[in-house]
Amino acid sequence: MKATKFLATLALAGLALGAMSCAKKAEVVQALDPNTPYEVTIGVYGDLEKAYVAVFNSPDFKAKFPKVTFKFQTSDFGGHHNRLTTVLAANERANDIEALEVGFIAQFVESGGLTDLNTAPFNARQATKDIVKFALANATTTKDSLIAMPVDIAPAVLFYREDLARNAGVTMDNLPSWDAYIDAMKKLADTKNGVFAIEHPAAVQAIPLNGGKGGWLKDNKPLEPKEKFLGALELVRKVKAAGVDGDLGAWSGPWSQAYIDGKIATIVNGAWFGGTLRTWLSPEPGKWRVAYLPGKMMASLGGTYLAIPATTPADRKPVAWEIIKYLATSPSAQLITFREIDAFPALTSVYKDPVMDEDVTFYGGQKVRRIFADVALNIPENKVSEFDNVILSIWNGAVSEVVNGTLSPEQAYETALTKVKATIY
Amino acid sequence: MKSSIIVKKALLYLILGIMALVFAYPFYNVFVLATWPGDQVLRSPPHFFFGGGLAENFRQLVSRIPFGRNFFNSLGIALTSTISVIFFCTMAGFAFAKYRFRFRDQLYFFVIASMAIPGFLNIIPFYKMMVRFGWINTWLPLVVPGMAGAFGIFLMTQFLENSLPNDVIEAARIDGLGDLGILMRIVFPLARPAMAVLGIVTFVGSWNNFTGPLILMPKIEATTLPVALSLLNSRVDNNQGALMLGNALTLLPLILIFVFFSKQIISGLTAGAVKG
Amino acid sequence: MQTIIRKSRKQGWYPYLFVSPFFILFCVFGLYPILYSIFTSFFDWKLIGTSAPRFVGLGNYTNVLTQDPFFWKALLNTVILLVTGSLLQHFIAIPLAIMINSKTVKGKEFFKTSFFLPYITSTVSVVIIFGVLFDTNYGIVNWLIGFVSDAAKIRWLQESFGIKVVLSVVLNWKYIGWNMVIYLAGLQAIPYELYEAAMIDGASTLRKHISITIPQLLPIIFFGVALSIIGGMQIFEEPFILTGGYEQLGGHQNSGLTAAYYLMFTAFKAYRLGKGSAIAWLIFLVILTLNGVNRYVTKKLEG
Repeated sequence: MKATKFLATLALAGLALGAMSCAKKAEVVQALDPNTPYEVTIGVYGDLEKAYVAVFNSPDFKAKFPKVTFKFQTSDFGGHHNRLTTVLAANERANDIEALEVGFIAQFVESGGLTDLNTAPFNARQATKDIVKFALANATTTKDSLIAMPVDIAPAVLFYREDLARNAGVTMDNLPSWDAYIDAMKKLADTKNGVFAIEHPAAVQAIPLNGGKGGWLKDNKPLEPKEKFLGALELVRKVKAAGVDGDLGAWSGPWSQAYIDGKIATIVNGAWFGGTLRTWLSPEPGKWRVAYLPGKMMASLGGTYLAIPATTPADRKPVAWEIIKYLATSPSAQLITFREIDAFPALTSVYKDPVMDEDVTFYGGQKVRRIFADVALNIPENKVSEFDNVILSIWNGAVSEVVNGTLSPEQAYETALTKVKATIY
Repeated sequence: MKSSIIVKKALLYLILGIMALVFAYPFYNVFVLATWPGDQVLRSPPHFFFGGGLAENFRQLVSRIPFGRNFFNSLGIALTSTISVIFFCTMAGFAFAKYRFRFRDQLYFFVIASMAIPGFLNIIPFYKMMVRFGWINTWLPLVVPGMAGAFGIFLMTQFLENSLPNDVIEAARIDGLGDLGILMRIVFPLARPAMAVLGIVTFVGSWNNFTGPLILMPKIEATTLPVALSLLNSRVDNNQGALMLGNALTLLPLILIFVFFSKQIISGLTAGAVKG
Repeated sequence: MQTIIRKSRKQGWYPYLFVSPFFILFCVFGLYPILYSIFTSFFDWKLIGTSAPRFVGLGNYTNVLTQDPFFWKALLNTVILLVTGSLLQHFIAIPLAIMINSKTVKGKEFFKTSFFLPYITSTVSVVIIFGVLFDTNYGIVNWLIGFVSDAAKIRWLQESFGIKVVLSVVLNWKYIGWNMVIYLAGLQAIPYELYEAAMIDGASTLRKHISITIPQLLPIIFFGVALSIIGGMQIFEEPFILTGGYEQLGGHQNSGLTAAYYLMFTAFKAYRLGKGSAIAWLIFLVILTLNGVNRYVTKKLEG
């Protein structure tokens, strides 16, 4: 009996040691030798591979990195983050470079698991001076570590159907307020014929929260300031009350069908959504236009970061960093990515490139990139925290209560606040 | 009397027929959609008949993923799992059902209880182990640990307890068969209906497993069909045609395997030694 | 359990040999993850990162049971779905198996295959199919209801009650074929002589099944119900995909949030591995208890 107990204790102790051996070992990171051939592994989601392959095949890249080759590991959005989370949780080696969507950044910011790019030999600070500030802030810890590099961002705008707006006699440019937007939506909607002004009332909820990736805590108090969050719920209630929405869940079959059939008049989303419209939902050029959000609100809805997992071997980190630096800070790479998949550059210096002033045929010749760039430069900073995911999920519950009319905005806010406090403390 | 039998029979077929339609239509639909070009998949009203995009969809499919390799991996993993599970679980089920040995009840309880532990979080320590074993990007982590799964043992024990008559075993012993002989010559042939059920379940579970290969076999050439297909599901460059064909081709082997095994379920015991 | 090969036969080590693969594999592959999860459940253990885990004793368990605003709701949802989605279907699967097993039915293979098809589909496709069927505006269900009622369209996937209904339908649809196959295999083991005797007595079909088939099937019913409990209490993928994943936490008023869903959320979205492990072990205890009840009831019925 005693022996069993002893063995069990021993086993548990061994397990504890094994599990805790995550503790940091000091490592020496060498600088990159340009003459050594490297095969860099890179884990991405969605269509990023398409964009980065184009970048790596460009003459500019080939001239700078003649000896570097790539091995991609592409998954769908969920699968990629699922795999990455598991591998990092096991503290095992992932790809040399891993892509992260902005919604997954917050967790990593304070928890570790990714290489601090502000330390030597990366010294990211020298490279990031032209990277848009809010995106950098999202990936910077309280101790001033940069754990991932922003490569593309998603300035939020209002997409609308020009033909429907013209027929309804409304102008969507420079709407002064959300109330004006709702008034315009009432004119746009023709629910009898299945034309809706917006896909779902919940589609607007994240805008007043600057996209809802971060900004959930103020001075460690959740869902503060109250007016901001209550305002977002009140907006949802008003849109719902207007009766102009299609009640369509994003990315569902009927949702995409509604866009394909041309039954949706407006949508608020990040610049990347233009790519979805262009390639898939509504490929015919000339139908859509872009406007500032009502009241010229500035917000961000999406964005991609590249990171080096802490478990990447020290001798591979320098080359991984050079590749990340190239993708994020070379104007050529940033513009190729933008052209391929509509992922908006995080590098502000390319906003001055003539390409930003071009007429875009898809938007009927409108100079939409000026709007994207202007929004990008004015997006406020959001402070991220390790509780963001929990709060976001509870917040979505409050939005659902308001959409269904089961609780008033005030009640929904209070209920959510109680749940948040019970969960995170 | 006679007409009431006809009415009864007609009613029986009506119920079965309606249910069969409800259950089978979505599958017919998968095959229909696989034959439409990518930009015409989603339509209102939906497609009820086959379209002309099959060849193009197939070309798209094989150009985007190493379809043959992925198919081979899926099939190989599923078949090796199925064969080993059937063998080891029937063996263990036989022991639990027909032998009396020390700690039998405790061991059996342990087997069943192990099924009740939610295994969702096991993937993290399991992944650590597989890295140490050097098994990442091989079939092994998806085959070996489950070779004698608790579920299969539970199933075989419950069935053998009832459907394997004791006197058949006694008779075999009198004929001079040893324990292994009984297992090979009596138990395996007679357990066919339950083995068929187990075979289907194991094959399906392995074939449809997504998270396992996603994490344990990350290389595109090394991975299985469902994981490779998920690549086609990216939001912006969305090729519905190739995706739908991929879905249909994923489903096809499962239907074939089911038809193959399911013959065993009914034909297994009706003929042969058990009658007596 | 009846046993016929007795220890006295000196074949003592054969059964151990036969059951050994499970225990060997369990020790090699299963033990470490289980110990790991017991161990982490006593710590404030972050999923990822370099911060050292903090020992909290039973803190995770008491937090889940007394403080957490979601756990009890999730457990209640799971039990409701267990009844409506996993257990009630045995009342359909048994008659279905008997019908298909009946000597007079032609086309057994076709019906069997049709009913079993949902089981072999991946959860993702099942959920996509049902998402379309139950869509508020385009779904065939609301379209059919439109013929008999003028009431407002039911927003199946956005209302608390609707979510439970759809999930129950999905679970029934997916697993009835599976249960039917178990019972079909079980029916093969019932000796035909039992029915012959009843026929001589002139018993009706229904009587025959109640007095012969059901009692003979009891061990299989125990087995099927046990699996339903084990599977039903761990339902995750169906509600997860149907209600929109971690960010929606089970849809409106968390009505699709199951215990396993919440476990996964806690570990992989809130990054609290320790608390997630604690939830896993609480689910384990519930499953053991329910199966104890199952065993007790079966034993009572067997007499």
